[in-house]
Amino acid sequence: MATIEVKNLSKVYGSGETKVTALDSVNVTIEQGQFVAVMGPSGCGKSTLLHLIGGLDRPTDGSVFIEGSDISKMSDKTLTELRRRKMGFIFQFFNLIPVLDAIENTALPLILDGVKPELARTKASEWLSRNKLDGRGKHRPDELSGGQQQRVAISRAMVSDPVIILADEPTGNLDSRSGDEIASTLRKIVTDWKRTVLMVTHDPRIAAYADRIIFLKDGKVVDDTLLNGSNGENAKRLKEKVESL
Amino acid sequence: MRIQILLAWRYLWGRKQRMVLTTLAVVFGVTLLFGLNAMIPAMMESFRHNMVTTAGKVDISISSESNNPFEESVLKDLSEIEDISFYTGILTKNVVLPESLGGTVNKLTGSSAVTVTGVDVATAQNVRNYSLIEGRFLEPNDTNATVIPQLLADKMELKVGDIFTIPSSEGVSDLKVVGILSLSASAGLDEIFVPLPDAQTILNLPQKINTIDILIKSGADRDVVVSSVLSKLGPNFKSGAIQTGEELASALTMGQSMMWLFGVMALAMAGFIIFNTFRTVVAERRRDLGMLRAIGASKQTIMGLIMVESLLQGIIGTGLGLICGYLFSYLLVSAVGNIFAGMLRVTIGAPVITTVNLIGSILLGVGFTVGSGYFPARSAMKVTPLEAMRPTLGSIEYRQNNRRAIWGLGLLTLSVVGLLLGNVSIAGLSGVVFLVGIILIAPVMVKPVADIFGKLISSIYSREGKLAQGNLTRQPSRAAITASSMMIGLAICIAMMAMITSIEHGFTTYLDKSLGTDYLLMPPSLVLGSGNLGVNQGFIEKIKSIDGVEEATSLRLATSQVDGTTLQLIGIDPLVYPKIAGLEFSEGDSVEAYKAMEQGSAIIVNGIFAVTNNVKTGDVLSLKSPQGERKYTVVGIGFDYLNAKISTGYVSQSDLAKDFNSESDLLLLVNRKPDATAEEVTPALQTVIKEFPTFSLIDSNEFKTEQMGMFKMAMSVFYIMVIMLAVPGLIAMANTMSINVIERTREIGMLRAVGATQTQVKRMVFAESVLLSALGTTMGILVGLFLSYLLVKAIGVIGFRTDFFFPTSGIIASIVVGLVFGIIAAMVPARQAANTVIVEALQYE
Amino acid sequence: MSVRHSLLGLLAQKPRYGYELCAGFTALVGGKENWDVKPAQIYTTLARMVESGLVIFNNLNGQQSKGEYTITPKGHYELMDWFRSSDIEEPHQDPFYLKLMLSLELDEVDASRLIVIQRAALYQELHRITEQRQALDPHNQLAQMMLMDKSAMHLEADLRWLDMIESRLDEVQRQPSPKPAMRPRGRPPSQSA
Ligand SMILES: Nc1ncnc2c1ncn2[C@@H]1O[C@H](COP(=O)(O)OP(=O)(O)OP(=O)(O)O)[C@@H](O)[C@H]1O
Ligand SMILES: [Mg+2]
Repeated sequence: MATIEVKNLSKVYGSGETKVTALDSVNVTIEQGQFVAVMGPSGCGKSTLLHLIGGLDRPTDGSVFIEGSDISKMSDKTLTELRRRKMGFIFQFFNLIPVLDAIENTALPLILDGVKPELARTKASEWLSRNKLDGRGKHRPDELSGGQQQRVAISRAMVSDPVIILADEPTGNLDSRSGDEIASTLRKIVTDWKRTVLMVTHDPRIAAYADRIIFLKDGKVVDDTLLNGSNGENAKRLKEKVESL
Repeated sequence: MRIQILLAWRYLWGRKQRMVLTTLAVVFGVTLLFGLNAMIPAMMESFRHNMVTTAGKVDISISSESNNPFEESVLKDLSEIEDISFYTGILTKNVVLPESLGGTVNKLTGSSAVTVTGVDVATAQNVRNYSLIEGRFLEPNDTNATVIPQLLADKMELKVGDIFTIPSSEGVSDLKVVGILSLSASAGLDEIFVPLPDAQTILNLPQKINTIDILIKSGADRDVVVSSVLSKLGPNFKSGAIQTGEELASALTMGQSMMWLFGVMALAMAGFIIFNTFRTVVAERRRDLGMLRAIGASKQTIMGLIMVESLLQGIIGTGLGLICGYLFSYLLVSAVGNIFAGMLRVTIGAPVITTVNLIGSILLGVGFTVGSGYFPARSAMKVTPLEAMRPTLGSIEYRQNNRRAIWGLGLLTLSVVGLLLGNVSIAGLSGVVFLVGIILIAPVMVKPVADIFGKLISSIYSREGKLAQGNLTRQPSRAAITASSMMIGLAICIAMMAMITSIEHGFTTYLDKSLGTDYLLMPPSLVLGSGNLGVNQGFIEKIKSIDGVEEATSLRLATSQVDGTTLQLIGIDPLVYPKIAGLEFSEGDSVEAYKAMEQGSAIIVNGIFAVTNNVKTGDVLSLKSPQGERKYTVVGIGFDYLNAKISTGYVSQSDLAKDFNSESDLLLLVNRKPDATAEEVTPALQTVIKEFPTFSLIDSNEFKTEQMGMFKMAMSVFYIMVIMLAVPGLIAMANTMSINVIERTREIGMLRAVGATQTQVKRMVFAESVLLSALGTTMGILVGLFLSYLLVKAIGVIGFRTDFFFPTSGIIASIVVGLVFGIIAAMVPARQAANTVIVEALQYE
Repeated sequence: MSVRHSLLGLLAQKPRYGYELCAGFTALVGGKENWDVKPAQIYTTLARMVESGLVIFNNLNGQQSKGEYTITPKGHYELMDWFRSSDIEEPHQDPFYLKLMLSLELDEVDASRLIVIQRAALYQELHRITEQRQALDPHNQLAQMMLMDKSAMHLEADLRWLDMIESRLDEVQRQPSPKPAMRPRGRPPSQSA
């Protein structure tokens, strides 16, 4: 059973004159432990795809299966619980609560889930130190750099042991060095913790950390490339593509 | 729940300034509500205490149902009741001491008075315990003797053997002090004891008593005795002390509901402020909220977060408000305590915290806060997780605003129609409808009003004015809400001022009508019922016999009850009274009415009574009298100036004598002959009055001026109230302005970065604030006009009919207040904006 | 060219044996994966340099195959000359560009597919380099990391360029393809015609 399975997914915004087809019957299957980058020109529907997979929005047509269950049919309540337990989100604008310190921000999903505060804090501190933020636990977001804030956000996304991590341009607001740090942190999450990461990015260097890139254009998948094969495999795959010319 | 509390607390703490401002609004509302209401019970409490101590020393106290005196002979009936050990009849009444007899007369506090209690010397000491420190108690053969309390003795410098002169129905009575009591029996007034026959003479109530004090045998059941006594005496008697304070107590209750209204209005404004703040809070935090939703917070959690935040503020605000309210009422009580002590003859203690007031204030304080947080919380709940992903954008809701405006317009039309229908309750409702209509329409008004006033401001500060105008119009709903809270404050100001202007005008008219005579012979206290002592028929005859007096008529007084409402009865002479004074009729024909009165059993009631008891001309009222229930037909609704504020009925003097045993004249109205001059008549009147020191001679013209002065003074209390109510409006403005600044820190930083000077930024904030207050003032004037029209109509209906006067002064005052508020409210935020550190502002998220 | 100068550079430090030079060069470029130069090529180059008098070969024990190479003053001069020259790669000779331009004229090849395939290949390469770079220890392999960065950045540039042409492919297609310039014959056309 695939971790994420997207079938004939379509999303249409508006109607009549202002109708925009953001996604047009997209089919994608993502296995556990894959690091997938979604790329494509601006407005091609990357964020829309991510939102639909994350259950943040409802598709116009088609369905999204997370570990075999169809989330497009779930109630808001079940969906909220699913997000809380199975998914972690990382946003472009870090999106930490400005009035909470790093540990509290990280512990949020656990606290929301009713985990005991002490336990939640312990887990949060563990993740912060895994993400090289030891000693920063008591700092509030405005006392942290962008890169550090994003690592707090990654810690928050990981703290509830989710199956899937969804990240929309997580390095969009960072310089290339901090971007690299974030990308390698995500890479580690996939390699060491066997999580599935789905990341939207515009940056080829960041995308290259992924195992697989899905290219979108005008709401359709135009290419789907595995990057992590041996040289031979890669060459073979390329050859297959060339055949299709 | 834990997470909500943690987040709510942190958010509040993170924006201390805003929290303080919002909480302040709640504090203010609760302070008013709680403080004012703690003061009234303080008075009520003193009153009650007063009455209990007088009645408290005996087991049972019997008086007539209507509080009027009754025949001494009823005492005989009691001898047959087994369980009574002793009983005694008492005649007790307050008597005002005129200045000439050692009393102090003060325009504000009224006059000093004593309670004259006639006791049956033979039986009195069986029932009560009189502890003397000097001299002896009254003895059976005493006449013109008295026993006085020590306090009075000290005050009047009287010793045993001295003569104490008090006013009497025959002029004065000289009483010989035979003993001095250690304690005053009554906490409020000094009570002097005289033999019963003396009292009956002094008070002109021969063979009458008004209280029976009873001691029961030990072991007997009090309730059983009471019921057997009452069944013996018949339905016109009741158990308990004479409730002289009842009328005042009901006036106080009325005052209390006014205070509640004030407090609730202040809280309503606080509610607006909180609503406004939380709307901003939700708008500001959309991204945070979306993120929380995305990482798994349920809708309820989000709603809870905002609700907890408002709850916290409600609790803190209410708590502080209770403390401030107590201090406030403490200050008020000590400030006005003296005045009240004089007027009501009651010493007021510390403010009293009644459970109702405490619980009510807490419920309303917390309730309003949480209630105002509710709608913003609901909109917070609807924030989708998607909001977290997008960069924040300003939300614009023009369509909705327009729809609301249409609703608003509909309501406005409705309310005007309601006003024109003429029914009071419909008109009252239409006032509320009008307010709601204006609030709905407000967002649409923002742009045109901002455009008009923006032009004015632009002509002074061209660039800043333009910016401010833009800033205001891009958040029409918020501007409208802020303006609304200011609107309420100003509208109340204007309405009150309009009412005051109209009443003042009406007052002058009444004064002229009611006091159409040349002279008034007035008792020491203006309110007829309170402790004034009447004179017998001889006095008016003497006046009439003076050369140059054309006509004289008197007013007499009794009290009665109709369906449980106390009604003051004024006895007039239906033949003479209309000739020289006359009532102001709002229903019924005056000629017919006086004619009906001559026939007997006819009553004219005043507006207050007609409204509260829903009485119309032609109704038959059943009045409680010492002789039992008496039927009177209402022949008109009208009133005179002196009794406009108290439920009053006018009956003929012969009816009053027959049914209510009242034959003494309380107030005399005298007209000169057309050819007589004041120089001739005044000295003659003064000579007659010397024998009756209770009365003072008043030249109507002088009196009118004096009354106008007092009226203006009383109205100044209203002005203070009005100002108090305007304060929350100011807080609301300041609040919104600083929220605007906080919210736009980045923008202001950008302006500074591209070269705006501190002064320019300041000016921008000022301009915006002034624009906002212009909006509030415009709306306030509209609503104020409507409300004032309504108020004048309403007081017209309860009998104080006046013409509507356009409140020009109120409007001018409001414009000034609005402008000043606009500037004051912007002071702190403007400084804050000007001091924005550019770099920090640009980092601000 | 650079192999020759790299060998001169290594010899400028100290005289070396042939196999030493082979290992030294591989280390310099950061491993065989980066630049796989066969020993035979190195020996051929060395031999040529001996011929032109840039290095001297000292036979050890008279054995022909084993001996130390030493740089000559002429060789040193040549090395310095190399340092003084600037290194600008020839970016215009891009085979993919040629493919793409030609595909525009040929119906049987889809230009946009070409881009997709090229991009996939470039990403695979970039991924490989990123992985390699990740495996390096920044504390003592910084030089190599920087070399990786260079390649990554070049690939990134290529990828961005691909994105760019992809988005403007339609426009390019609509314009006339580059044709050899016609040599004007006869009289130039009159301005008024
Ligand atoms: N709420 C919305 N209403 C209407 N149209 C929308 C909405 N959200 C997205 N769209 C449209 O859907 C299309 C896809 O949007 P999406 O945000 O997924 O693009 P994207 O690939 O993430 O772009 P970018 O790289 O710029 O973030 C766009 O054309 C956009 O205009
Ligand atoms: Mg996007």
